[in-house]
Amino acid sequence: MALLKVEQLTKSFEGKEVVKDLNFELETGKCVALLGPNGAGKTTTLRMLAGFSRPSRGTIQFDEDTLSKDIRQYIGYLPQFPVFHNWMTGKEFLVYAGQLSHMSKKEAEEHADRLLQRVGLSDAKKKRIGKYSGGMKQRLGIAQAMIHNPTLIMLDEPVSSLDPIGRREVLNLLTELKEEATILFSTHILRDAEEISDEILLLKDGQLIEHGSLDELSQLHHTARLELDFRSVPEDVREVLSHFDFIEHVNVQKNTVILMTAEGDRARKTILKLAAEKDWDLTRFELVRSNLEDLFMKAVNR
Amino acid sequence: MQWSVIFKKELLENWRNFKWIWVPIVFILFGIMDPITTYYMPKIIDAVGGLPEGAQINIPQPPPEQALLMSINEYSSLGVLMIVLITMGIISGEKKSGVAELILSRPVSFTNYITAKWASSILLILVSFITGMMFSWYYVNLLFGDLSLSQVFGAIFIYGFWLILVVSITMLISTLFKIPGLVGFISVLIVIFIHMLTSIFRHILTYSPANLSSYVSAYLYTGEMTADMWSTIFVTLIGIVLLLTSSIFILRNREI
Repeated sequence: MALLKVEQLTKSFEGKEVVKDLNFELETGKCVALLGPNGAGKTTTLRMLAGFSRPSRGTIQFDEDTLSKDIRQYIGYLPQFPVFHNWMTGKEFLVYAGQLSHMSKKEAEEHADRLLQRVGLSDAKKKRIGKYSGGMKQRLGIAQAMIHNPTLIMLDEPVSSLDPIGRREVLNLLTELKEEATILFSTHILRDAEEISDEILLLKDGQLIEHGSLDELSQLHHTARLELDFRSVPEDVREVLSHFDFIEHVNVQKNTVILMTAEGDRARKTILKLAAEKDWDLTRFELVRSNLEDLFMKAVNR
Repeated sequence: MQWSVIFKKELLENWRNFKWIWVPIVFILFGIMDPITTYYMPKIIDAVGGLPEGAQINIPQPPPEQALLMSINEYSSLGVLMIVLITMGIISGEKKSGVAELILSRPVSFTNYITAKWASSILLILVSFITGMMFSWYYVNLLFGDLSLSQVFGAIFIYGFWLILVVSITMLISTLFKIPGLVGFISVLIVIFIHMLTSIFRHILTYSPANLSSYVSAYLYTGEMTADMWSTIFVTLIGIVLLLTSSIFILRNREI
């Protein structure tokens, strides 16, 4: 079931289209990464979905049950650089945020305590936010996005500004959150998307260039990578391998030969046969599934 | 419910940044400054000296009504400036810093947001204004003669509408621009413009809110609230409602 349906979503600033004709659906319960290099239109897209900025064209449609109501009730949003009321304590801010989302004070307080515990801010809950570190603010930002039990949580670059430890904590937190809500987060870091998302939306120059689950995408771009290690690389290896039309690319490094192929099985059989015939002194043979990084580079450089 | 959450948060904020302490103090100073210096003027001139030998210092002491009007005059210049300064960041500050993103990504009604913030400012300013006037009244009674409390409250009532209008103007400008300094500058210009327009077209603009200070003076001397005065108050009220409605409309239709 689609929680959110986006059609022909376009945003232009001063005649320049920053986001062009996006079409996608978000399914309930999925964790989706909005992936793309800097300036691809990720923040603009999220801001439109959160209702901060009006689409120049196109529609954003939420699940029918919520149509008549204020959709902001169902969204938890974390901007890229969250700013709080620095004179409030962490807990005060969460309670305030919860109450703004129509929770009772008691309800908001209970939930705030639980969330602060969960994001590891229990000890700092009575401290003024002005004294929080960057990582603490980011975690508080995630807590405020969850305070009202939203069905959709949108996070803009939740881990980009964090150090490795903070990044790990937030990623773990997001993995837990996947059980509770639909998540849409933007990132320009591939590994983060690969690690926690079920689906990716790949944006480049405001256009959606790939969309699908990780499995689907890697099948679609089912380039396999073969890595061969030799004790010493045979001189004619490049020549011999380039001969086959199903091998797309041969790269010879010091003792390693890397091949890209669309037909992994056939390449494997052929090469193993060749190795036996020509008596190559192979030390390692590995068939690697093409990872997202290859896909990312391929898509972005296209 | 949501309205009172925002209202309480504003009150707490003004408490934590000490506005509830220094704004009343400043208004008390504005209120008592003129009556006191006027009373002691002969002594001050005497002490400072510089007058030729044998010169007679004869400054007539004003009646209590006029002494109280001095405070009102102070509020209409320095007081208004003060009000603009403390109100200019009310919306623009939150937008500029980015807090507005976290607040308005929640199902906050724009009407609640604007009116709760407006009400908390009005409360702060009216409490400060009334306190200042009470101090002024005390010194006027002490130094210039009797003035009844009901007269002072009449003056507060009439002039309060002008101050509320100033808050509303600043609030509207604050929803339009992101830079608090610019908001302050434009708001002051608008207030000056209203004053200028009113004095140039005095014969047509009888009900202009800028006339409220002259109605205060008329009221203090005659003790009567005239029909013209009520009409002016009514026009001011309409102005306030229009300003608030436009603020809400602009906030709703602007990208944050």
